[in-house]
Formats: sequence, C-alpha cells, structure tokens
Amino acid sequence: MLRTTGLTKRFGGITATDDVDFELDDELTSLIGPNGAGKTTFFNLLTGVLQPTEGTVEFRRDGEWTDITDADPPETAQLGIHRSFQITNVFPTSTVLENVRIAAQADSDDSLQFWRNVNAFDEHFEEAHAILDRVGLDGKADVPAENLSHGEKRKLEVGIALAGDPDVLLLDEPNAGVSSEDVDDIKALIEDVASDHAVLLVEHNMDIVMDVSDRIVVLNQGAVIADDVPENIRGDPDVQEAYLGGYEAGDLQKERAKRAGEDAEGKTA
Amino acid sequence: MSTDAARPDAADGGALAPWVGGYLRDHAIHIAVVAFFIVYPFLYDVLVGQFGLPAEMLLPRLQTMLVVLWLGLFAMSFDFVSGYTGYLSFGHAAFFGIGAYTVVLGANGQLPLLPGGLSFMTLMLVSALLAVVVAFLIGLVSFRLSGVYFAMITLGFAEIMYVASRNWDWLTPGQSDPSDGINTPAEFNPELGVPFVDPLQVETGVFGDDAILGINFGDLLVYNENLGAIVASYFAIGAVVLVCYLAMQRIIHSPFGRVMIAIRENEERAKAIGYDTFKFKLGAFMISAFFGAVAGALLVAYRGSVNPDAAFFFLVTGFALVAAIIGGLGTLAGPFFGYIFLEGIEEFLARGGSGGGLQPFLAEFLPGGILETTIGGDLTVSGALDAFMTGHGEFYAGIVFVIFVLYVPIGILGTLRLRLGTDSVATYVSRRLGGSTGTGGSGGGGDSGAGESATAAGSVTAEGGEEDDPREGGPAEGSEEDDPSEGGPAEGGK
Repeated sequence: MLRTTGLTKRFGGITATDDVDFELDDELTSLIGPNGAGKTTFFNLLTGVLQPTEGTVEFRRDGEWTDITDADPPETAQLGIHRSFQITNVFPTSTVLENVRIAAQADSDDSLQFWRNVNAFDEHFEEAHAILDRVGLDGKADVPAENLSHGEKRKLEVGIALAGDPDVLLLDEPNAGVSSEDVDDIKALIEDVASDHAVLLVEHNMDIVMDVSDRIVVLNQGAVIADDVPENIRGDPDVQEAYLGGYEAGDLQKERAKRAGEDAEGKTA
Repeated sequence: MSTDAARPDAADGGALAPWVGGYLRDHAIHIAVVAFFIVYPFLYDVLVGQFGLPAEMLLPRLQTMLVVLWLGLFAMSFDFVSGYTGYLSFGHAAFFGIGAYTVVLGANGQLPLLPGGLSFMTLMLVSALLAVVVAFLIGLVSFRLSGVYFAMITLGFAEIMYVASRNWDWLTPGQSDPSDGINTPAEFNPELGVPFVDPLQVETGVFGDDAILGINFGDLLVYNENLGAIVASYFAIGAVVLVCYLAMQRIIHSPFGRVMIAIRENEERAKAIGYDTFKFKLGAFMISAFFGAVAGALLVAYRGSVNPDAAFFFLVTGFALVAAIIGGLGTLAGPFFGYIFLEGIEEFLARGGSGGGLQPFLAEFLPGGILETTIGGDLTVSGALDAFMTGHGEFYAGIVFVIFVLYVPIGILGTLRLRLGTDSVATYVSRRLGGSTGTGGSGGGGDSGAGESATAAGSVTAEGGEEDDPREGGPAEGSEEDDPSEGGPAEGGK
C-alpha cells in the first residue's frame, strides 16, 4: 500500500526521522514509541505536510508503485491516504454532518460546482450519514462539532478521515485524552475500520495496541528499532530499553548507592 | 412583514405545483424584505408628507437608501470573501475602483482595444471581468500569506491603485488634475436594464428617466414629485443589487461555497481532506471582485463621475468592514443591513446641514425657553446642539461601532440567528409559517437516517406540513441553510 525507503527528516541538528524503511500492507499496523520518538513527524512525512530531507515515499495503486514524496496534503488525500489528528482538528461551528459531508465531497468532482445547491448532491449526504452511523454519531448529525464531548470529537475525527473511501488510514492517537468509559468504543471503532482499510495506528495505550494490532513497529529517536507481531514486541529487550530507559530491577538501589558514594568522596575532598 | 409574505404563499400554494408553495414559504422573509424595499419610497413619501419633521427625523432619505444600495452590494462582496473564507480582503476597494473607473474610461472612449460608445451594461460587464483578472493576479501573490499579512498585501495593491488614480494624467487627457476625479461625457446616459429589451431599460441618474414600464414615479409620489428620477434609479440599481445578492447567495450554498466555509473553519483540515485550498480561495476572491466591480459601476451609473477618494481609498473598504461587522460577518445580507443601519445612525444624529435627523427636530420642537437656556459660560442648549451634532454623525456612528464590537460582535443578523436558534432567518420564518422547509432533503432526512430521497422529503413536507406546530415539526429539524429551495423539486422543475 504505502512504503518508505531511507526516509529521513532533520530539523537543524535534530534527526526526527532516521532512515526509516517501512511498508504498510493491508493489515492493522501500530506505530509506537516513547514521546518524541518521531511518530507524528513520520505521519507528516507520509501525508506531505513535511518534505523529507532524504528518502522516498511510495504509494501502490493498481499494483503500481508511484513516488509521492513531493505530494502535498491535498494530493495525498486525493490519492487515498487519509489521516486523523492527535489534537482534535475538525470544523468547529459546522454541524457534525457537514464535517463529514464536506470530506465526502472532497473525493468527488463536485466541489467546483458553484451554481447548484449543495442539497442537490445526495450522494455526499448519504455517504456522510453512513459514516456517522458507523462511528456512532448518527444521533448527533445536527449538532455543531464544537458542542460534542471529547470522546465524540475523537469519533468525528476518525469519521472525517473515513469519508471519501480512503485506501490507507493513518490514525494519530484516536484515544488521546479519552475517558475510560469511551475507550472501548474507540477501540471497537479502530477494529471496525481496520476490516476494510489498511490502518497505521499511533497509540499510547498498550492494552489497545497489543490487543488490536496485527503488527507493531517501534520507533525510538526517529529510527525503527523493532518491527514484529505483538507477542514478540512485548518481550523485545530493545523496546523495553527504549520505553524504560534501560531500567532493570534493582537499578534504583544501585543508583542511590552510587550517589551516596560520590557524596562521601565530595566531603572528604 | 410576515403577513405580507404569507399572502402570496397561501394564494399560490393551492393552485400551482406543490413545490411552489414550499418555495415561497422558504423564501418568505426574502420576499418580505424585497417588498419592503419596493414600498419604501412611497412609504417615505407619504409618511414625511403627512407627519413632516418627526418622520423625516426617523426615516433615511431616498438619496441615502440609493447610496446604500451600491455600497451595501460592495460590503456584501467584501463579506463574500472575508466572512466566508476568513481572509480579510482589506484592499477590496481596488475592485470597487476598477469597476467605477473602467466604466468612466469606457464612456470616455479611453479603453484600449474597445470601441467607444459602448452601452453601460457592456461596460459594467467589462469592468467586472477586468476586476476578475486583476483579482486573479493579486490573489496569486497574496494567498501565499494569511492573517494580517494577507490583509496588508491586498491593502498594498489597493493603495498602489489609489496613488495611480490620483496622479496618472492619462486618466484625464488634457484636462484637470486626476485627483479631482473624472466625469463621463455629457452625452453618456447610463442605461440599466435587460439588454435588448427596450421597455426594461432605465436611464439612471438625477436627470435620468422617472418612469419604468410606463409607470411614472413622479406621479406616484404624492408629496415629492421631483424625486421621480431618484426612485426610478433606486429601482433599477436595486434590481441589479438583488440579482447580485441572489447570485452570491447561490454560490455560498453550492458545494464550492461549502468549501469556502470549510477553509474559514479550519484550513489545515480542509487541506488534509483533499482540498487544494489555494485554488478555492483564489476562486472566491475572483468572484467577490466581480461583484465589487459591479458595485463600483453602479456608483457611476448614478453619479456619472468618480474620484479616487470615492473609489480606491482604503476607507471605502474600511466602511464595508464596519458595515459587515455591524450587520454580521459571514452572513451575506448582514453587511447590507449593516450599511443601512450605519447610514441611518449617521443621518439620525445629524449629518452636516441638509436632511432629516435629530437636530432639526429638536430645534423645531423644543420650547424656546429650553433652547435659550445657558448650560455654562456662553453656551446655550441651542448652541450645544449645533456644536455637538451638526455634521458629527460619523463621530457618533463610530461610538455605535465600538459598542457593537464590544457587545454584539456577531452583528445584527448573526445575533438574530442566534436568538431564533437557526442557521438562517429564512428557515425560521419558513417554519413559523407552518411548512417544514424542503431544505433539502438530505438535510431533512438527517435526524432519522439516510433512507429518504431528497426529492420525496422536499415535496411531501411542502404539502403536508401546513398545520404542524413548527416547534415539533420533525422534518424541519434537519434543515440547515437558507435558500433551501432547490432540494430537489426546484431543480427538477428546470
């Protein structure tokens, strides 16, 4: 579906994405890593928000790989790579229905029609209603998006990305900030959309990641340090090193003892 | 006003196709407003004739209403891009000026490539298309920026044109200083109307026709027979403004218009779902330039001349912005009403010298004793009225503007919508009149689900909804915009 070769992004001296070779297939792949590992930067490179310093992004359509490294966000979206955002990013005063409808319209050739009333384009409304049904917001169609609860906004965020029948869905922390009672809803939603899209999921909730993923890719300091099925990731020492900073049982005591020793030296000196 | 509108609705609803009733109901408020503007000159005539100074104090003069027509159109065109895409077109006067100057230069036979002696309607179209081209070029550069920088760069372009219009001798060959403005030749008689249909052509201007279709307005006016030509111009120019408003309204409610709103709401997301927002912004800018130039041309249609300060000066945009804020940014009709309100306030609080307003009224009706009372020093009440009111209308309008920004930031129309709890006043009125709107169908199907087809929903509700309590009328819930007309039935009728 989507693959990167030697993808690298540097901001000044910082390497946010470091020589990433990655291929997304038609499966639910999770992208995890500690804060600052470069997950969102990687998303931005895939969708064209950022241009890579080196390397390429390719997208497979009808069996042919095309280079989309230079494509900008509207172009990648038109190709069928849609994303949701970590920080809710909807059309705040438009209704929930319009939020999804406008996204459905983006996938058609109708947007340049300036002479016919928007209500004459039934297909966009129908698609929007179907999506709201799917994400569980069908009862909220006429509510302005800004009046939704946080959990509902997260669902809408995914709903907007779903409109226009994308091939690839990049979900950037759909669970961010969601209260515990809503987590199951969103988790079910992720599994549901993964049934008919290739999904790349960024997620911090490890229970969800281990549960829903077919495959997990671990980023640390911009580089891929592991890429495997969930069972193997769980026990991977590199991953534990990245997440826990090499902490092992007993480390704290050793640290304390070491510091005490230094202090004693300092006094005698 | 609402009874006014209900009448044609009830009358036509029975006899004609069902969608006609629904259509009229959905547009009841629009019809009522237009009817009000049609009646206004005669209302003014009778009221002022009957009640004299008190009526004159409260009602804007016909000349004022006439000026408001093109300035209001200009403010609407400004709002079309600024209020709906969120990009403040602070150099919008450029297009107003292009409209006005192109018509005058065309009338003087100075436009390259074009023959002299073109009709006014042709020149208006030429000026509007020229503005579209200029908007394309300005937009190419300016839409690389956003926020304050966009406003400033468009202002920069307008100021360049302003300076050019003051100093470029070519504009007034062998004549006066260009900064004094230019006149159309005496033999140029701007005719507004439907091209090739002679009875529907009206010569505008103070000395133009005073009759349309054989109806002489001088005769219809009881007390102000001399205002016939002004009334004829008022109707002719008003008709053009109405057509322009409907066209812009139509565009706002199209898929293209929805993309404009999406850009205003969240441009980043609009890009992320696949819109090349640059193109849409540029398109919206060009459309608004078209109507801005028409407004400028209408100025010339009535005045027959133009000068830099009335055309390219940045305050032309400034007042459009003020009107848009008072009327409601992002409501297309708002700026128009905002302009009427603004001009009305200015006139009420004593514009210099002529016309009605509070001061002549007070001077006339306050007892002499009060007028002669000294307030302090040598200042009498009468003197204070002179000092604080005469010619200071704009000063008070400024205070009103400040109050609006502080307490009514969403403007008159925006507040009205909020109070009525709808997205548009037309939807509300339509519901109150008993029919759930045909707003389109898919919107109408909104609450129950996706099943219904738009056409069915539209016509069924138009017929059946007559007696429903509007508050419970289920299908109306889903409606979301005015201009609901088209749902399906209207389109089908074409």
